[in-house]
Amino acid sequence: MPRWGMVIDLDRCIGCGACVVACQAENNVPINTEDVYHQRRAIEWIRLERYWDGEYPDIKARYIPVPCMHCQNAPCEPVCPVYATYHTSEGINMQVYNRCIGTRYCSVNCQWHVRFFNFWEPKWPDSLKNQLNPNVTVRSRGVMEKCTFCIQRIVKAEHQAKLEGRDLRADEFTTACAQACPTDAIVFGDLDNPNSRVAQLVNSAVNERGYRLLEDLGTEPSVYYLKKVDLEAPVEEHSSHQG
Amino acid sequence: MRRREFLKLAATSATGAVLFTGCGSIGNGNPPSEFKIESPVWNPNDLRYGRDAWFATAAPPSIGGYGIIVRVFEGRAKKVEGNPDFPINLGRSCAKAQALVQELYHPDRVGAPLRLAGQRGSGQYQAIGWDEALGQVAGLIQQAPGSTLLVTEPLNGALGAIVEQFVRATGIQHASLEPDERVVLREAMRRAFGVESFPTLDLANARFLVSFSADFLHTWISPVQFARAYGAFRQGRPDVRGTYYHVGPRLSGTAANADRWLPIRPGAEGLVALSMAQVMLEEGLVEEANAEPFFKALGLTPEQLAADFAPERVADATGLSAEQIRELARAFAEQRPSVAIAGTSAAASTNGLFNLVAVFALNYLVGSVGSEGGLILNPASPLPDELPANRSGDAYRRWVELARQIAGGQITTVLVHRANPVYSLPPASGFQDALRSAGSVVSFSSFLDETTMLADLVLPDHTLLEQWGLVVPDPGPGYQVVAVQQPVVNPFVDSRAFGDVLIQLAAQLGKPLPWPSQEEAVRALADTLRGLGRGNVAADHPRAYFVTMQAQGGWWDERARAGEASPQAATAPANPEFSGEPGQFPFYLLPFPSDALGYGEFSHLPWLQGLPEPVSTNVWGTWLEVNPRTARDIGVETGDVVRVVTPQGSAELPVYVNPAAMPDVLSVPMGQGHTAFGRYAEGRGVNPLELVAPQVERETGALAWAATRCRLELTGRRMRIARLEGQVPAFQLEEFPIIQVTRPRT
Repeated sequence: MPRWGMVIDLDRCIGCGACVVACQAENNVPINTEDVYHQRRAIEWIRLERYWDGEYPDIKARYIPVPCMHCQNAPCEPVCPVYATYHTSEGINMQVYNRCIGTRYCSVNCQWHVRFFNFWEPKWPDSLKNQLNPNVTVRSRGVMEKCTFCIQRIVKAEHQAKLEGRDLRADEFTTACAQACPTDAIVFGDLDNPNSRVAQLVNSAVNERGYRLLEDLGTEPSVYYLKKVDLEAPVEEHSSHQG
Repeated sequence: MRRREFLKLAATSATGAVLFTGCGSIGNGNPPSEFKIESPVWNPNDLRYGRDAWFATAAPPSIGGYGIIVRVFEGRAKKVEGNPDFPINLGRSCAKAQALVQELYHPDRVGAPLRLAGQRGSGQYQAIGWDEALGQVAGLIQQAPGSTLLVTEPLNGALGAIVEQFVRATGIQHASLEPDERVVLREAMRRAFGVESFPTLDLANARFLVSFSADFLHTWISPVQFARAYGAFRQGRPDVRGTYYHVGPRLSGTAANADRWLPIRPGAEGLVALSMAQVMLEEGLVEEANAEPFFKALGLTPEQLAADFAPERVADATGLSAEQIRELARAFAEQRPSVAIAGTSAAASTNGLFNLVAVFALNYLVGSVGSEGGLILNPASPLPDELPANRSGDAYRRWVELARQIAGGQITTVLVHRANPVYSLPPASGFQDALRSAGSVVSFSSFLDETTMLADLVLPDHTLLEQWGLVVPDPGPGYQVVAVQQPVVNPFVDSRAFGDVLIQLAAQLGKPLPWPSQEEAVRALADTLRGLGRGNVAADHPRAYFVTMQAQGGWWDERARAGEASPQAATAPANPEFSGEPGQFPFYLLPFPSDALGYGEFSHLPWLQGLPEPVSTNVWGTWLEVNPRTARDIGVETGDVVRVVTPQGSAELPVYVNPAAMPDVLSVPMGQGHTAFGRYAEGRGVNPLELVAPQVERETGALAWAATRCRLELTGRRMRIARLEGQVPAFQLEEFPIIQVTRPRT
């Protein structure tokens, strides 16, 4: 049984946003209009955060792509009264849209703010509906949605492997964000398969750059980050406060 | 009625409905039913229900012309990915390529040929048939071919060949429009290295990179190609991590990735480069033998360099300290292979050509021209005559002249394909006013953009995913590459490929072109490649050859590389000049190409409008970036609306306090301020080109859009800027840092 996970190398990430648009294209994420941004209800299953460090002229802007962490002890899961938020056997934190009744408890309990509520019916002009991915449900009003690690791609690959009577090969498919990423900063795969690139990146002793976001909360995220390399970083340094 | 016939009928009627709604709107409502059962798509013959089909094609030349593959499901394009086999991007892609499907299915596409039905500029059009439209255009050309001007994007590949043949056969005039700094870069490449194409970088093997204002990871010439190499540059080698310094007046989305950012005065890039050279030579950090081509490119003697460009002499003019310049020079000389590039605002100064030549010539000094880990020059197109790579666009100076000719009646008919001169040229060029008064204007655009709004006839073009083409990516990966474009879906509306239209027009004018259609031109030119007898495609039969090319997305020959480079002409040092007295206009106005919207050619796509600009995280609008201290001194904060006044004009913009802005530089993103171009582009923000004075680069005549000064006036009003920052409470806490940093391993 695979255990899906992701590694994001902050030293490779250039903040281009290819992952953000690729995810929207793959997963039928509603268009984030200007109004949606004003309401602070933009839906980006993976988003690019930017943090400032320092002051002019010694200032740095740093990027971090943030998808759902797919925590193994996910705080969003136990609070769902209808089991719409649950954990799959393959380690994915999943949302069952047609169970969801929109209590938004899960969203309140998520420290990473990667769960998004559909306050309105998503709208596309008729012609743009031609682009929608037939493998992904369009979420309706009143439903919580989030990154699924491109579950439709996982299911398709697993189905194909089953048809061919074989096990999944290491890295035989990837998520939309990882596939688009021009610098190869995002790597997705099976953490339990020693031949997969994620497992190698996570396990390799060479890579002392690994960490997880808000790891101290003890939720065991499945998304690993590799630290940004900075020539001037103090030996054990954290960059300073700024939102 | 059989199912297939029913679908056919449904398809026809759906297309018919488009015809009758006039301005080509395909559907504005959001009917409660999610999907129509009948498909508005004319399904291809080889359709297999329930199965994905992937087609290889190529991204637009303006974003690098790299290979993409498109997922097509039941006749509809669903998703764009990078072509994993294509040498430029090896499976990688960018946000703009991802959004191509939104262009294909855009609700405001022009659905059929249109004829003006009211005042010019009113946007009132009436749908007409293709025969009538073609007949009218043929008539216009026939009347006065010598007084007809065709405006396109730079010629490229098969479409370029068709346009060139058409221009030759009919005797009309032709001009091509591209961002002016590319015109300057082409001239710099010609002078410094004697090549006609853009360069690439062997970043995967480089140890040190210095970029002078070039936004090479987001907007500069071929971002995906450079980004892929950049990943390897940073973390692709077990023992080396490349170091990147950025020198320029703005911490751009690209510069934010630099290990060190050295803020300098706008236009001082070349001065810094010469000073670096002086340090390297003085301290004996570079071999004397490498100095000769450097001096030749700049027409300088070693004595002049030593006398005029020592760091202490130029420090004030650049905004850096002498020590900073020395450190930069030492890092560049010692951490080899090192490479230096310049672009974006460095080229958009009055001394843009000097800036570029001075920086690119640094590569001679460290032996990085055409060597591993250095600046890799690209060879010419494999078929330079039949299949042009991007031929240089025309400089701003020529557009002013053309505007004068249109206004003066020497040019009576203007045909425009894809380019949008009314938006892309500043009003000071006079082009917009000239076009208003032109005898006839015909547009071949897929959208009612600003230029098309002034057209009497609109003959809608296919979008990229609907047409045939051969593209010569510029820059290539260091060797010859040709990408194949093929229609991945049938045309979504009643549009026609521009090449087909030209071929038909030529036939009507009695001057037939060598090919019966754009597709045939592509096939014939691809077959000429077969005649070369080299490259990665091996097949004897023309059909097999072309199918192989289609299946893998193109043709390339890794052995066909550029020859030795040497400087062809000298470019003398020059200082930047700015419009506006510093006393009256204390700030530099620095427009910058938007990461997602480019120069405004992608503003009609909602995914890109909604994609946050990486540094400010702003979306859907225009803003003015102000340094925090400057903002405090003036008494403004983020969201305050100020009036930006330049010698050319004024505009009201909301302030965004950018902690990394230079105190005397005010930056404004390009891309907004459209008055037409569909519902997602129209009526938001400001086009900064309306503010820039018509300063030109002194040697090429290109528009120097970074050469204007400005002042601020308070309006007392406020507005909300739509942006990502603040959507979620996310803070870098001391005890739980979100972005952790570490020192490089030694």
